[in-house]
Amino acid sequence: MQVDLVCRICDAAVSGRSSREERSRSSLPTLTAFNNPNCSHSPADIKAHNFGQTATMEDYDVPSAASILASVKEQEARFERLTRALEDERRNVSLQLERGSLPSDMLAGRTTGMSNQPLAWQQMVMQEQSPSNQTSLAMMQEPQEVVEETVTIEEDPGTPTSHVSVVTSDDGTTRRTETKVTKMVKTVTTRTVRQVPLGPDGLPLPEGSSPLGSYTDSIDRRYMKNGDRFIMPQATSTLTRSYNNYADSYSDTPDTQFRHYALHDGYGDVTENYGSLSRGVNYRPYRPYMAAGGYRPENSYTLPIRKEDYGHVAQPQVPMGSSTVDLNRSQPERFQPEPYGLEDDRRSLGQDEEEPFDLEPDYSTANRRTLPGRTIREPLRNGPRVRGYEDPIEAELIDERHPYIHGMYPAPLAQPERGSLASLDHMGGRRSPSIDSIRKDPRWRDPDLPEVIAMLGHPIDPVKSNAAAYLQHLCYENDKIKKDVRQLKGIPVLVGLLDHPKSEVHRKACGALRNISFGKDHDNKVAIKNCDGIPALIRLMRKTNDMEVRELITGTLWNLSSYEPLKMVIINHGLQTMTNEVVIPHSGWEHEPNEDSKPRDAEWTTVFKNTSGCLRNVSSDGAEARRRLRECEGLVDALLHALQSAVGKKDMDNKSVENCVCIMRNLSYHVHKEVPGAEKFQDPSALQGPDSSGTQRKKKDDAGCFGGKKAKEEWFNQGRKNGEHDKNYDTLDLPKRTEPTKGFELLYQPEVVRLYLSLLTESQNYNTLEAAAGALQNLSAGQWTWSNYIRATVRKEKGLPILVELLRSDSDKVVRAVAIALRNLSIDRRNKDLIGSYAMRDLVSNLPSGQQRPAKNLEEDTVVAILNTIHEIITDSSENARSLMTAQAIDKLVAINRTSQSARETKAASHVLQTVWSYKELRNALTKDGWNKTHFQPIATGTPKGSKSCKPGYDDTTLPLMEKNQGSRGCGSGDMIPMDEFGPDGYSTINQRDSNSKYKSSDGSSDLQEREPFKNDTNRKHYIRSNRPTVSLVDACDVKPQPVDSWV
Amino acid sequence: MSYIPGQPVSVVVQRIEIQKLRDGDNLILGFSIGGGIDQDSNQNPFSEDKTDKGIYVTRVSKGGPAEVAGLRIGDKIMQVNGWDMTMVTHDQARKKLTKKNEDVVRLLVTRRSLEDVVRQSMMQQPTH
Repeated sequence: MQVDLVCRICDAAVSGRSSREERSRSSLPTLTAFNNPNCSHSPADIKAHNFGQTATMEDYDVPSAASILASVKEQEARFERLTRALEDERRNVSLQLERGSLPSDMLAGRTTGMSNQPLAWQQMVMQEQSPSNQTSLAMMQEPQEVVEETVTIEEDPGTPTSHVSVVTSDDGTTRRTETKVTKMVKTVTTRTVRQVPLGPDGLPLPEGSSPLGSYTDSIDRRYMKNGDRFIMPQATSTLTRSYNNYADSYSDTPDTQFRHYALHDGYGDVTENYGSLSRGVNYRPYRPYMAAGGYRPENSYTLPIRKEDYGHVAQPQVPMGSSTVDLNRSQPERFQPEPYGLEDDRRSLGQDEEEPFDLEPDYSTANRRTLPGRTIREPLRNGPRVRGYEDPIEAELIDERHPYIHGMYPAPLAQPERGSLASLDHMGGRRSPSIDSIRKDPRWRDPDLPEVIAMLGHPIDPVKSNAAAYLQHLCYENDKIKKDVRQLKGIPVLVGLLDHPKSEVHRKACGALRNISFGKDHDNKVAIKNCDGIPALIRLMRKTNDMEVRELITGTLWNLSSYEPLKMVIINHGLQTMTNEVVIPHSGWEHEPNEDSKPRDAEWTTVFKNTSGCLRNVSSDGAEARRRLRECEGLVDALLHALQSAVGKKDMDNKSVENCVCIMRNLSYHVHKEVPGAEKFQDPSALQGPDSSGTQRKKKDDAGCFGGKKAKEEWFNQGRKNGEHDKNYDTLDLPKRTEPTKGFELLYQPEVVRLYLSLLTESQNYNTLEAAAGALQNLSAGQWTWSNYIRATVRKEKGLPILVELLRSDSDKVVRAVAIALRNLSIDRRNKDLIGSYAMRDLVSNLPSGQQRPAKNLEEDTVVAILNTIHEIITDSSENARSLMTAQAIDKLVAINRTSQSARETKAASHVLQTVWSYKELRNALTKDGWNKTHFQPIATGTPKGSKSCKPGYDDTTLPLMEKNQGSRGCGSGDMIPMDEFGPDGYSTINQRDSNSKYKSSDGSSDLQEREPFKNDTNRKHYIRSNRPTVSLVDACDVKPQPVDSWV
Repeated sequence: MSYIPGQPVSVVVQRIEIQKLRDGDNLILGFSIGGGIDQDSNQNPFSEDKTDKGIYVTRVSKGGPAEVAGLRIGDKIMQVNGWDMTMVTHDQARKKLTKKNEDVVRLLVTRRSLEDVVRQSMMQQPTH
């Protein structure tokens, strides 16, 4: 046994931590300084940042000090070698640059000493210095970069290279789709793998290799590491500070300061540059928002008029590309994901109504936000991606010869410059003369927004498509430009281009519209609708078979569908088309399945995801929208088929599944009232609809106990009736059907219970879980034959333990939906008994208690929902009330009743307490536990009625029939009936956004999370799952809250 | 194993390195943890001192990576990959253990038997 005696472990831990910090601190300045150019990057970068950083810190701990030292030494040596190689290369390249007749003032002439070098190389020099100082520690420390991390970052919409895509806009193959992103991922992975042999430990550089070769190698490696881990992350958060630092040190005492930086930052520098080399464009898109001035030089290329100029500029860059042979290899695809595509990604992740704007907060952190007012023109000049505007022909030529050149060539030129210029700009006022001279360079001119919009009407098609692509790019994450485009009447022109016969043109127009339609600004969406954009999109969908165009169309529709007033328009124009063109084919469902063909599985394509997202949004638009969707031929069948195939393939965590379940939930809402012929199935005992119950309740209010009593009798009758039904159901089969069910009838067939339960068991996506629980909740509400079947089926399919287990979920929303579903299910008397004896402990453990904060801090709505469920369960069941007592809920309830800040919680807890006290047979036990009547009386200035006499009436109104509640909502709120708790929120499983604006905001903010937490979800879910045995209904009621125990 | 907050502690620890088992997307360590500063330490059956809110190994799956590596039920986890585990919430501990990007976790754990062994040997030493 290996036993170490560790003394003062605390100290050790502390010191360990501090050293970590130090290291990370030391690496900070570097990152900041060099990341400046990145600062304005997308939110994705920010996320990556966080992620990367933690990982980094942890990684430090892994190797021992000795090995670190050793590897550092190694690196030093290697770096010196590298440096030499670099210098050679630099000389080489700068020669070529000059030959290429680069305007020397553009590149050179900064206040630094190395005035003769082009800027790019100045930076290189800096990097070189830094290595000599050995600060590369951080980098070297983690030899084996983890592929997963890389992937994560790459997946971020922010990272794909914008530039390249624009350049290639002429080419039909340009893609800004998710597929692209995936390809990126692959690329990166390759690199990672490659990197391993190169790792610091492995002494990457082949000795015999030419300087050039080694240089490239190092580029690759470094780029990977820093780019992914350190650099990008840092960029955003540290922006300001770093800028300042950089600026100060740089200008004041370039030499010494620089040294200093080099110490820690050298690598950062290198990486930056490298990053830009290989990825180059990635950082571009966001630049525009940072400093308007810095990017001028590049923009100048934009104007298509100046072909000669491009020639000039482009030339020198090719040589640069020569050093990138290696990079080429790592970029298998000629076209990188485009910047504008990103917006789409975002949208698709967050675009639900509940979530459309989660991402927004993210955006706000982007630096661009901080920029004060900008003129319309400014953004254009920032855009390095202006490349797209190069003369198409020229671009294509280059493309053919050097597929990858575009991606890289901007890098050497623009990247360093951008960095330096940008940072200079940010310093405020301390602008070097050279910048101004660049700005004034008469040879370049930026197109401004009106010009770009005018180009949309240019007679030459490539100009049109370029202009549209450029617009899409400009609009990416820039609400201001979107608004400007709208005000400049650009939207109708773009919509007009949708009907353009050339795919290049309508594709780019669609892309621009997709970005424009994304965001909080509903005016843009309305503007698209006002010029008949929606029918135009649908027309195009019918016409085109191009997958990418379809992705763009459906993406745009998804964006549009997040705005309430447009939902019905989308349904009117596009519902059947979307169903026929996308949902049915991609779901794998077939109208009349061929006998010999196997049933097909659903394909989770982006188009399907977008379309289902759009339908998810429109399905929440009220009864009429639900009716249209239910009656849309093939829609329900296809969605169910898709979900079943998801369950079959155990692939239930993706967004498409989530969308489908959400649609199903929404369509299940009020199904017992809205479906044609529903009356036939109404439970006779419940025939008085919501309205009558409302009036009845009013009557009861007036009449006091009498009405209540009557209601209670009714309740008992119902209960008995339900019981009979259950018996019937247990013994008798469901009504036999001669022909298979189809269409909306599928929504409420008991068969769906198994589907939802499978999702609840298997899915790790909180939204899916919530929606599945919500669907059960919807189906089990109401009094009609089918809901009776559903309630019994859930029990027979052993769904109750599954639901009870989910009460332990970490997700508020899931707990809430499950709690309400349990409440609806307990309309069934046997369910009520089971839930009372087996779910009580978990329900109670979700309640906050006075002294000790519970493990999860649930929202008010959730707590109220749980209290209401408890109330429902103990109503008319003294047995359940007793198990409530044994679950030690009374002190929690009393605490909530007395101390909760929330009036709704207080009220709901008070109702439970009153119900408990109303059971005379329990009072003895209660008194023995030290409680007395005052504990169970409403604390608030409640109604004068005695709890007991009121109870019957109360019972009735709290019946989980949502109609009743809704119908009676708002009347008699003064008495004890917690109407609001039972309002539509509680029962509706319609996306909450509809019913409650508060949800909107909260959901909105959590939207972002929807994406990030995914990783955690797995863990959490895992934990939940692993607890399943302990939660099973077979367990006796454990009085104590179970200590948390997580499998890892 | 009890200590006064803020004071240095000396304990006998064992280093345990667990190679995570990959199961599809999941990485499995094969044990479960209880405790944490947000949990009710009174319910921890393994702690000597019932106010100890440390992270404890509550279950070890048979034949799992943790068992193979020598982890035992009742072990108190002091560090995970260098991170202190004596003052963390349950969830923080879980997250540190379940990092998707780490295939190996290095634990410092302590258990009573370790202490006993060391104490005994230290008692015996003077007699030698």
